[in-house]
Amino acid sequence: MDGAQLAQQLINGLTLGSLYGLIAIGYTLVYGILRLINFAHGDVLMVGCYMAWFGAVQFGLPWWAALMGSMLLTALLGVLIDQGAYRPLRRAPRISALITAIGVSFFLENLGLVVFGGRPKAFLRPEVFNQIYQWGSVRVLSLSLWTPIITALILAGLLVVIYRTRLGMAMRALSRDLVTVRLMGIDTNRVVAATFAIGSALAAAGGVLWAMKYPQINPLMGVLPGLKAFVAAVLGGIGNVVGAMIGGLLLGLAEILLVAWLPQLAGYRDALAFVLLIGILLFKPTGIMGEELPE
Amino acid sequence: MSRGWLTAGPLPAAHTTRRRDQRLTILACLAAAGGLWLLQAFASGYVVHMTCVAALFAVLAVSYNLINGVTGQFSLEPNAFVACGAYVTALLTLSPAEKAASFILEPIIWPLSMISIPLLPALLIAGLLTALMGFLMGFPVFRVRGDYLAIVTLGFGEVIRVVANNTQSITNGPLGLKGIPHLTDLWWSGGLLALTLFVIVRLVNSSYGRALKAVREDEVAAEAMGINAFWHKMLAFTTSAFFEGVAGGLLAHLITTISPSLFTFFLTFNLLIIIVVGGLGSNTGAFLAALLFTYGGEWLRVVEEPLNLFGLHIPGIPGMRMVIFSLILVAVMIFMRQGLLGRREFSWRWLLAFFDRRRA
Amino acid sequence: MSRPALLRAQGLSCRFGGLLAVDGLDFSLAPGELAGLIGPNGAGKTTCFNLFTGRVRPIAGRIDFDQRPIAGLRPSRINQMGLARTFQNIRLFDDLSVLENVLVGFHGRLKASFLSAILRLPGYAAEEERMFTRAAELLDLVGLARLSDERADSLAYGQQRLLEIARALATQPRLLLLDEPAAGMNPQETAQLASLVRRLRNEMGLTILLIEHDMRFVMNLCERLTVLDQGRIIAQGAPAQVQQNPAVIRAYLGEEAGRA
Repeated sequence: MDGAQLAQQLINGLTLGSLYGLIAIGYTLVYGILRLINFAHGDVLMVGCYMAWFGAVQFGLPWWAALMGSMLLTALLGVLIDQGAYRPLRRAPRISALITAIGVSFFLENLGLVVFGGRPKAFLRPEVFNQIYQWGSVRVLSLSLWTPIITALILAGLLVVIYRTRLGMAMRALSRDLVTVRLMGIDTNRVVAATFAIGSALAAAGGVLWAMKYPQINPLMGVLPGLKAFVAAVLGGIGNVVGAMIGGLLLGLAEILLVAWLPQLAGYRDALAFVLLIGILLFKPTGIMGEELPE
Repeated sequence: MSRGWLTAGPLPAAHTTRRRDQRLTILACLAAAGGLWLLQAFASGYVVHMTCVAALFAVLAVSYNLINGVTGQFSLEPNAFVACGAYVTALLTLSPAEKAASFILEPIIWPLSMISIPLLPALLIAGLLTALMGFLMGFPVFRVRGDYLAIVTLGFGEVIRVVANNTQSITNGPLGLKGIPHLTDLWWSGGLLALTLFVIVRLVNSSYGRALKAVREDEVAAEAMGINAFWHKMLAFTTSAFFEGVAGGLLAHLITTISPSLFTFFLTFNLLIIIVVGGLGSNTGAFLAALLFTYGGEWLRVVEEPLNLFGLHIPGIPGMRMVIFSLILVAVMIFMRQGLLGRREFSWRWLLAFFDRRRA
Repeated sequence: MSRPALLRAQGLSCRFGGLLAVDGLDFSLAPGELAGLIGPNGAGKTTCFNLFTGRVRPIAGRIDFDQRPIAGLRPSRINQMGLARTFQNIRLFDDLSVLENVLVGFHGRLKASFLSAILRLPGYAAEEERMFTRAAELLDLVGLARLSDERADSLAYGQQRLLEIARALATQPRLLLLDEPAAGMNPQETAQLASLVRRLRNEMGLTILLIEHDMRFVMNLCERLTVLDQGRIIAQGAPAQVQQNPAVIRAYLGEEAGRA
C-alpha cells in the first residue's frame, strides 16, 4: 500500500474512530459513576437518529437544527431511562441493573422495529458534508474531515464541563465514591441525571454523524456500534473520558486497517472489537489509561 | 425465613421420604411419557411442534440457569453454544446430496462433504464439541467478573456468529443450511428434557451443587473453604454448554433450516427473560417459565394478528410480543427481582402439604 | 522449639496502594500453639491472615506451611493443605442454610467425581452420609444444632461467628486462623467462645492463631502474643510481658490519642 492509500485509510480510520469515541464517552461516563454498563446506550443512539430524521425529513428543518433538536430530545430520553428503569435499582445488586439495562435495550430495539419497520430508511447528508475533495489518488468525503473536527470540539467542550464546572466536579467526585458523596448531602440523582443527559446527547451526535456517513438508519443500527464503543471505552480505560476517545480512535483505525491490509478477513471486522476486548481484559484490564480495576 | 418447608404433621424418617419421593418421581415420569405418547399420536402437528419447542427451551433455560443462577456467573453466551450444537449436528446428519445442493457458493470441505450419520451420535458429538468450546472459552472468560463477564461472553457469541457468517465452506455462510431432516419429535425433545433435568437437578442437589452456590454467594469465602472457584465455574459452564449444544442440534432438526441470523443475541435475551422471570437460581422456575413463555408467547401472538373487537378492526402489530417481553423483564427487575419462584425448588413434600392443607 | 514450625513467615511484605501494609514480617507458629495477633487498627493483622491464606500475594518474603512453601498458591489449595480461617466481616453463604454452610466446608476434600455425584454411586453416597454426620457433630460442638435448617443470614451476629468457625472446622484444618471471633459477643458468649477455642486446641489438636481487640479475651486465652504496628512486629511473648512492654503501650496510646 502506498502513501496515498495509507493516508486514505488513516482518514477513514480517524473518522470511524471519532464516532466510536463519541459513543464510548457516554458509556464511560455512566460506568464511572454507576458501575453500570448501559446496554441501552447504543439504542438511545438509534432513537436520536430517528428523531433527527423526523426533524429533517418530516418537518424540513435544516440539518443543524435537526441535530440540535435530536441531541436535546435524546438527552431527555437518557434521563427518562435512568429515572424510570435504573434509579429504582440503585441499591440493588449490580446484576439486576445490568439485566434491566438489557431489558431497556431490547425494548427500544423492538419498539423501533414495531414503529419504524425493519427496512432501513435513507438518511440525509447535507451538502456541506457531501463534497468530495481530491488530492492525487486520495478521495475524501468532506464529512470524513468534518467528523473528527466536530468530535474534537465536542470533546473540548466536555472537558471544560468536567474540569471547570461544579457539575463536572460533582461528576468526578461521584465516580470516586458514590456512597460518601451521597452522604455528604449532594443531590446525586441530579448529577447522575446530568451524566445520562450528556452521554445520550453525545451518542445522538455520534449517531447522526454515523447515519450521515452510511447514510441510512434502521432500528437495529445501534447494537453493533454500541457494543464496539463499549469495547473502545474499556480499551481506553473505563471511567476515563479522554481514554474513551483514544480507545475509540484505536478501534476505528484497527478496523479500517484490518480491512485494508487483509481484505480476505474483511468479513471478520465486527469480531475484531471483541478479540481486542478479550485480549485487553486478559492482559491489561485497566485499559490504556485507566486506573480502576473492575470489581 | 426458615428453609424448612411447611408440612402438616411430623416429618417422616429421611430414608422413607427419599423412597417415597423416588416413587412419586417415577410415577410422574411415566405419566409424562404417557402424555407425550398421546400427544404424538393424536395431537395436531402444530401442538406437537409447540410442545417440542417448549421442551427444548426448557432444556436451554435449565442449562442457562445452571451457570447464571446457581453459580452466579452472569454470562450471555447461550446463543453461541446453541449455534455450535445446531451447526455441528446438522453438518453431520445432512446427506452429501443435500450438502452439495446447499453449498452453491463454495463447496463444503472434506470430510464433511461425505459424512452423514444418524441423529443420536451426531447429537452426542455436537454436545461434546460444544462442551469443549465452553471449556476453552472458560479460560479467558473466568478471568473477569461481573459486568465484564457478561460483555466478554456476549463478545464470544458475536465472534461465533461472525465466524459462522464467514466460513462459507463449512457453514455455508449467510445462506445457512437447509433441508435438515425433520427428525425431532416429542420423544427426542422429552427425552433430552428428562436427561437434562436428571443431570442438573441431581448435580445441584449434591455437594457439587452446594459448592456452586457457595461460589455464587461469596467466592472469596468459598475459596477459603477449599473450593477451587475456577474449576467449579468451569464445571457449570461446560455442563451448560453440553446441554445447550444438544438442544441446538434438536432445534435444528425441528425447524429444518438454520442460518447465523437465527442465533443472535435475541436468543440469549429470550432465555434471560425466561430464567429471570422464573427465578434466577431455581431449576423449577426455569422449567416453568420456559413453558410459560413458549405457550404464552404463542398465545400473545394474538396481539400481532389483526382482530375484530366489537366491530372495531384493530390492526395487528407485528413484533409487539417482543416489546411486551422486554417490558415484562424490566418490570420484574424493578418490582419482583426474585422472579416467580426466587430460589425455591419444587419438592414432593411441598405438593403433598399443599393438598393436605386444602383438605383440612 | 522441639518440633518444626507449622507456619513460618520470613521477610514477608505486601503493599496496599502506596504503602507497605506488612513490612518484612518474621513470624512462626509451633504446632499446638494457641497464639494471638494484636495491635492497633490498621496494623496489618488481617492483611497477615490474607497473606497466610493466599488471598493476597506478597511482594517479598516466603511463607511455609508444614515446611512446604505456600506463597502464591491459590487459597483453595492452601486450605486443602490444612489452613482454615474465619473472616473479620462475616462471610457466610447467606442463601444457604446453617447446615449447608458447614457441608460446603467438606466439599474441598470430596473424592467422588461430579459424575459419581450425579449418579449417586455408592462411593459418593457414603461420603455424603459421612459429611452429614460430621456436620451435625460440628454444629453440636458450637451449639447451633437446633438452627440447622435456618438461613445463615437469619442468625444473630454471635451465632454467625460460631457458624463461621464450624464451617472452617469442616475443612479439617491443622491450623485455624480466627479473625476477631469475639467481636459483637456479650460476656457470656465470649466466655463460651473461649472455652470452645481451648477445646479445639486441647481435644482436636488444632493450632490456633487469633486476631482480637478484646484484651481480656486474649490475655486469658492465648499463650503467646505477637503485637503488630504499621506492618511490623513490635513485641512478642507471654501476655503478661507484652502488656507491660512500653512500645506496645505507646502504639495503643497512639491509637487512643489519634482518636481523641
